[in-house]
Amino acid sequence: MRLWETLGDGYTRRALAEAVLVGILCGAVGVHVVLRRLSFLTTALTHATFPGVVVAALLGVHLVLGAGIFGLLVVGMVAAVSGARGGGGALPSAAPAGRGGRDLSSVTGVVLSGGFALGVALMSAQDGFTKDLTAFLVGSILTVDTTDLAISAAAAAVVLVVLAALRKELLLGAFDPTALAAGGYPARLLDLVVLVAVEVTVVTTVPAVGTIMAIALIVGPAATARLWCARTGPMTALSMALGVTAGVVGLAVSAQWDVAAGGAIVLTLAALFTLSLLVAPRARPLTARQPAGEPAAAG
Amino acid sequence: MTHLLVVPFERPYLTRALVELLLLGGLAAVVGVFVLLRRLAFLTDALTHTVFPGVVVGFLIGGQSGIFPGALVVACVAAGLFTLLAATRRVAEDSALAILLTGFFAIGVVLVSRRSSYTADLTAFLFGRVLTVRTSDIVATAVVAGIVLAILAALRKELLLVAFDPESARAAGYRVAALDLALNLAIALVVVAAVRAVGTVLVIALIVVPAAAARLLSDRIIVITVVAAALGMASGWLGLLVSYQVSVDHGIRLATGATVVLVLVAAYLLALAVSLVRSVRLRRRHTASADEATATVAPPPVAEIGVGPR
Repeated sequence: MRLWETLGDGYTRRALAEAVLVGILCGAVGVHVVLRRLSFLTTALTHATFPGVVVAALLGVHLVLGAGIFGLLVVGMVAAVSGARGGGGALPSAAPAGRGGRDLSSVTGVVLSGGFALGVALMSAQDGFTKDLTAFLVGSILTVDTTDLAISAAAAAVVLVVLAALRKELLLGAFDPTALAAGGYPARLLDLVVLVAVEVTVVTTVPAVGTIMAIALIVGPAATARLWCARTGPMTALSMALGVTAGVVGLAVSAQWDVAAGGAIVLTLAALFTLSLLVAPRARPLTARQPAGEPAAAG
Repeated sequence: MTHLLVVPFERPYLTRALVELLLLGGLAAVVGVFVLLRRLAFLTDALTHTVFPGVVVGFLIGGQSGIFPGALVVACVAAGLFTLLAATRRVAEDSALAILLTGFFAIGVVLVSRRSSYTADLTAFLFGRVLTVRTSDIVATAVVAGIVLAILAALRKELLLVAFDPESARAAGYRVAALDLALNLAIALVVVAAVRAVGTVLVIALIVVPAAAARLLSDRIIVITVVAAALGMASGWLGLLVSYQVSVDHGIRLATGATVVLVLVAAYLLALAVSLVRSVRLRRRHTASADEATATVAPPPVAEIGVGPR
């Protein structure tokens, strides 16, 4: 294992620490993303954060700052355009159906592509920027520095505390938004808390695996854990463990065969998910293709 | 003004780029109408990313001309996988899409990272190079456009029925899974055709944005389709022109693909403003008529097409 041989080097240790931190954070937040079916919105957030990263690089401020501010802007825009009236909240679980060209799916698509195009346009106006572009897109976990680590640790701590404190309310909102609103909780505020937590996670993850693959670290562990667990407690724990495992194994693979670290981490996650899909005991057998309640004669 | 709009296209490479963008803009917008009705924006995004390893492998094996077949094979495999996953229902569809998307994409990144010209290649694959498009690429795009439009025209009625009422389509004996596969393949073909010109990342804009903008302006499918196609083509032209003029006259390099997408997004925002003004006016008229005569039935508001989740 070449990873253990290079363990004496500072950059390997920093990369490992970053992988563990990001794995824990993504695993915890991913549970909410999976339960609320926010994968597409999260993808849009990761893509739309891109111009923020570019602007931050141009202005010379820290990437996380630029990406964070831009990401909050995007969250606001999606919420304003798609979920301004009715239902309550920007989440698809609560969003009303059939709002013309303004349903969540279309708006998310527009925001996603618009944000990415803005980033590319800004980037193309600069000379000799391709090197950095790659780092933003696919990440470079081996070059994280102590500042990145500190930011990741702080972000992870804050998000985990918030998620733990609001655990019950957030889960109720995920499963039964109507009951949450009827119970007198500030439903829209709680929805916003989830979105902001996701956004913070995305911004923290970008230096490690880049804007395009951050979604894998968030959704992958949680979706895999969902295949094994029916209760949210064990699911969260397993999800965090899987996130950390994938990070460490990915780094080892990357060091061993000299391939991109971000790609190796994501492929490890994909392999874990595929394996779980095939061998997870619970859940319906693979042959049950027809949804429940459908007459057997149909099709 | 007309001088400005036409003269740059006397250069052969710009003419080729224009033809390619017009073809792609029109084609992608028509497919986009179905994507909009079925709410398949995420699937489209996933398909654009999954094509990436196909592009890389195609390039490694056959150089520039290997990109198209490589992308085609992987796109068809991915479309099949998605249809299968949607049919099994073991995982929430969006989670499965997210993992497939990034998994495929990661394979591409890992493969590219083994090459010495890592960053330059990655950029070209992701964002495309519309200005270096060759005549053979245009021919390939035209063929794909013909096939996709033929599929959509032939299955028009069935696809619309499935989009609006999958239950009754199934009850009427249509093979919904097969129709899903046909539509997914059509989307995949468009993505493949567009990959060389605008790259894997920006294709989704060409597909989703024109239809979304047109939907804001009309409730009729045929009108939406025509407006979307016109919008897609016009944005291709305008985007190319803007990027050329800014680059030549003002010395600021502006990526063509990104400029086209930004023009599209601007058009969407314009359509959004128009529809908001319209709905405010309509509501005002609606409340006014409801106030003055409770006896007469107030005219119903503009009928929303019953676009439901799939």
